[in-house]
Amino acid sequence: MFSPSLRLKTFWLLAFFLITTISISFAQPKGKHTVSGYVKDQNTGEYLIGANVYIKELLKGTSTNQYGFYSITVEDGNYQLVISFLGYKEQVIPIELNKDIRQNISLVDAAYITKEVVITGEKEDKNIQSTQMGRVEMDVEKIKSLPAFMGEVDILKTIQLMPGVQSAGEGNAGYYVRGGGPDQNLVLLDEAVVYNASHLFGFFSVFNADAVKNVSLIKGGMPAQYGGRLASVLDISMKEGNSKEYHMQGGIGFIASRFTIEGPIKKDTASFIISARRTFIDLFLREPFVKKGSSAEGNSYFFYDLNTKINYRLSDKDRLFISGYFGRDVFSFRGRDSGFGVKVPWGNATGSARWNHLFNDRLFMNTALIFSDYKFSFEAEQEQFEFKLFSGIQDWNAKVDFNYFPSILHNVRFGVNYTYHIFTPSNVSARSGETEFDLGEIVKLYSHEGAVYVNDEWDISEKLAVNVGVRYTHFNQVGPFTRYILNEKREVSDTIEYKSGQSIQMYNNIEPRLSGKYVLGKTSSVKASVTQNYQYIHLASLSSVSLPTDVWVPSSTLVKPQIGWQYALGYFRNFKDNLWETSIEVYYKDMKNQVEYREGAQPDEDIKNNQDNNFVFGEGWSYGAEFFVKKTKGRWNGWVGYTLAWTERKFVDLNDGKIYPAKYDRRHDVSIVLTYELNKKWTFGATWVYATGNSLTLPESRLFLNGPVDLAQLFANGGSTSGQIYYGYGDRNSYRQIPYHRLDISATLKVQKNKKFESSWNFSVFNVYNRYNPYFIYFDDFIDEETGEFRLQAKQVSLFPIIPSVTYNFKF
Amino acid sequence: MKSLKNIPGIPLVLSVLFVLVLASGCERDITVDLPNPEQELVVEGYINPGGPAYVFISRTAEFFAPVDSASLAGYAEKNALVVVSDGIISDTLIAPLPDLGYLYVSTLLTGEVGKTYSLYIRTADGKEATSSSTIMPPVALDSVWFKVQGDLDSLGWMWARLSDPGTPGNAYRWFAKRTNKDDDFITPSGSVFEDKFFNGLSFDLVYNRGELPNSTAEEDENEEDGYYKKGDTVVVKFASITKESFDFWRAAETQSSSNGNPFGSAAPLKSNVQGAIGIWEGFSYTLDTVIAQ
Repeated sequence: MFSPSLRLKTFWLLAFFLITTISISFAQPKGKHTVSGYVKDQNTGEYLIGANVYIKELLKGTSTNQYGFYSITVEDGNYQLVISFLGYKEQVIPIELNKDIRQNISLVDAAYITKEVVITGEKEDKNIQSTQMGRVEMDVEKIKSLPAFMGEVDILKTIQLMPGVQSAGEGNAGYYVRGGGPDQNLVLLDEAVVYNASHLFGFFSVFNADAVKNVSLIKGGMPAQYGGRLASVLDISMKEGNSKEYHMQGGIGFIASRFTIEGPIKKDTASFIISARRTFIDLFLREPFVKKGSSAEGNSYFFYDLNTKINYRLSDKDRLFISGYFGRDVFSFRGRDSGFGVKVPWGNATGSARWNHLFNDRLFMNTALIFSDYKFSFEAEQEQFEFKLFSGIQDWNAKVDFNYFPSILHNVRFGVNYTYHIFTPSNVSARSGETEFDLGEIVKLYSHEGAVYVNDEWDISEKLAVNVGVRYTHFNQVGPFTRYILNEKREVSDTIEYKSGQSIQMYNNIEPRLSGKYVLGKTSSVKASVTQNYQYIHLASLSSVSLPTDVWVPSSTLVKPQIGWQYALGYFRNFKDNLWETSIEVYYKDMKNQVEYREGAQPDEDIKNNQDNNFVFGEGWSYGAEFFVKKTKGRWNGWVGYTLAWTERKFVDLNDGKIYPAKYDRRHDVSIVLTYELNKKWTFGATWVYATGNSLTLPESRLFLNGPVDLAQLFANGGSTSGQIYYGYGDRNSYRQIPYHRLDISATLKVQKNKKFESSWNFSVFNVYNRYNPYFIYFDDFIDEETGEFRLQAKQVSLFPIIPSVTYNFKF
Repeated sequence: MKSLKNIPGIPLVLSVLFVLVLASGCERDITVDLPNPEQELVVEGYINPGGPAYVFISRTAEFFAPVDSASLAGYAEKNALVVVSDGIISDTLIAPLPDLGYLYVSTLLTGEVGKTYSLYIRTADGKEATSSSTIMPPVALDSVWFKVQGDLDSLGWMWARLSDPGTPGNAYRWFAKRTNKDDDFITPSGSVFEDKFFNGLSFDLVYNRGELPNSTAEEDENEEDGYYKKGDTVVVKFASITKESFDFWRAAETQSSSNGNPFGSAAPLKSNVQGAIGIWEGFSYTLDTVIAQ
């Protein structure tokens, strides 16, 4: 048995060993040479992620990595190198391979060429040929022509239109992937973790589409370079900024306006982009729009975000990227008479500095230093009373990723990743006049998280390819820390103090990842995957929805790491020369060590206590089938996705130990997305969604309690007092709301004034047929005036009726 | 009848949402099919220093069953055996309204500070429930006063200064009643609190005027809602309660405020009576009378 410190050393030794051994074994294979380089957009200089590069004669190839780099090593000879990317004109370059060749490629955006160009698109059967399953790539430009809620283009909302990805509902920040919770999704913006990816309780995402280049979602078969979450990875890359010339773009929507400026710092060498967005609802939350004395008076709310990025090409082999995101939501209220004031700011900040280095034509390295911070605070005051609360999480992350292309049959990734987490659970202070309440010291929790991985995409034969990887993960909660020991009455009976840096609890695990494809014919393939994931940080919510107040906590002596196994099988088939893509995927997921608050937990029980003392633990599983049909080309395109799914939980201490449906259990989920390009000016879009109603817990019986009782009154009334009604609840999540469905439509008008200035109008209508979708249910009690009876009535509150909106966008 | 905006617990945020959607007419009655679970016993009982023990016994009802005073009687528990004991004297409680049942009162025992009282109930159909509770020593408020709120002419809240004893484990409940206006003491929301975060400290606290459930009184609907008014004579009953009472009433208040709250979740009651839903509590109290001026 290793001691903890020895284990840590072993971990780093292993990491070092893995990297050095692989690094020095990159000898040049005999009789083979390499063609490698970057693929970018000719007009903007942006590197293209996932562009296809293949050798026509061999019908073999690769695609560019996250930095636009590709490398192909084959036998010497004369070849035609074909480079293609969705929405760009295909290029064919003859190459004579008898030495290593650096071939950088600039593709021309099809929109810039002629009017009648035929877009050959991506390598058209990528969905069939790739070993990756459960991966969704989104074209940001395409997202922009879909209906937008209140005119705000939303990447997260569009992701939720894919099968297997479910919306948590209006007014709820999260999305659910294959029956996993919202905290089980890893959201990365330029490799930095974004802990709360939404504004205004989930109505808008923090990602400003003007600053985003690429969106990729992995919902199954997670390759080994990703980890730390059970359910999915959403990997978002920001634009680098135009390296040729200055451009500005912006827009004014229903609630927010945007502005982006980008351009070269030094032509073809360095560029920047700055993109900002701010809502202006707060301007309408005051007079004359809000009348004095109305319930909305004194309210103010706004959010803003700022994306910036600079990239610098130091040499042909070295590139530097520095990017940052800063966003805040700020809600405030000041009552006119009550003297009550509150200010609630929250938001994310991320920063990443990345250095790409090419050791040689086959070995690419990315080194990154990443900072991520999520903060929430709440300050309220009334007369002499003051209340403050703050919470958050901060990560300091360093990582090195290698991408090695030893031959055309292998694409190897390996690397190490280290994160120092600083958790700030809810810290509270309060005072009444001079008296400061004793709410304990400020608590912060610390932990180290590390990972070493290696992953190979290996074309075993013409038909069979696998993506095989392993990830070794390490987690260590360290002091300073105070562990509160509770007695049977849940009172603190003892404490254990840990010194700064002292190891409290350590976990080490190996996560195997395997996925593969077998090509059945020219137009179909079968894919399968088995992956295991560990998740060391947890989010438990006291509320029925995910809120900005939710707090992350580390694995500890009480909280074991979450373990997830996912098994998936899929059949992919294309029709009519890849005009139609179809797929069926089935999955089964098993989740251990799931975390919830115990029943009846109160928020203040986390204070002067360890939050995890209030947790209970259980297991979960989910399974389902996803059906997907997509039309890829033509004036009409779009997709239909249908998911049939189950997800259940079992906790010894919840629901009397009986199995219950998870909050995210949705039997049916349908999305239909259509766009129609009428001409160069007009594009129309429509989306329709249908989802089984949310599960929830409702009361099944009621009782009256008198509270303060005046017995004289009681006798005078013959035994009846005005008692307060209380509820006895039924089984957890045993009730279903009515199904959610909604149609949104949009029309986009492009106005090309001249070559320089381009503008567009997006007209959207949200909830076209004004469906009253349930937001929440409550019970109203009242005395029926006719009968004199006391009655209860269930009421359903819906949030958004039909809402039209207009957005104006410009670009020059 | 409650409208959405004045249900307690709806966060202020929602009012922003309402402005956002520019419409608040998205609320409608729905029919919910709920199963009819087995009836449970409901017990609410207390004993104060110098007073008898009172125990109210009823049963839970089907959630949507309409209630008038006649049908309410049907849920009252008749002919139950109710025994309260201080360890020495065991007193079988009598029902002053034998046709109704429901209320049971002790005749031999009266409450004493520091004593522990056990409760035993056996219903006519053989259901049993037990509990026990201790009368905590009273803690008097240092002072109680009325203060006009902000620039309101004559409306305000009730203030008090509390010096919490240095021993941990105190919990309190605030009741107040306007002489000649309220029939009974009323507990405003947030009426219970414990000294976990202010043990041994002196500080001011403030309460608004609570209202009875389903009140349709004009003053609970107009601008006086929640305020005391100059000229009111207010009796504040400040109770020293057990931790179990605190847990129960706080859970009860949480439940009331989570109904109608989009972020709320199911909040079950925390009974201290085994075999029933409810509370058996000993508590002592002090009274202060203030004329609002």
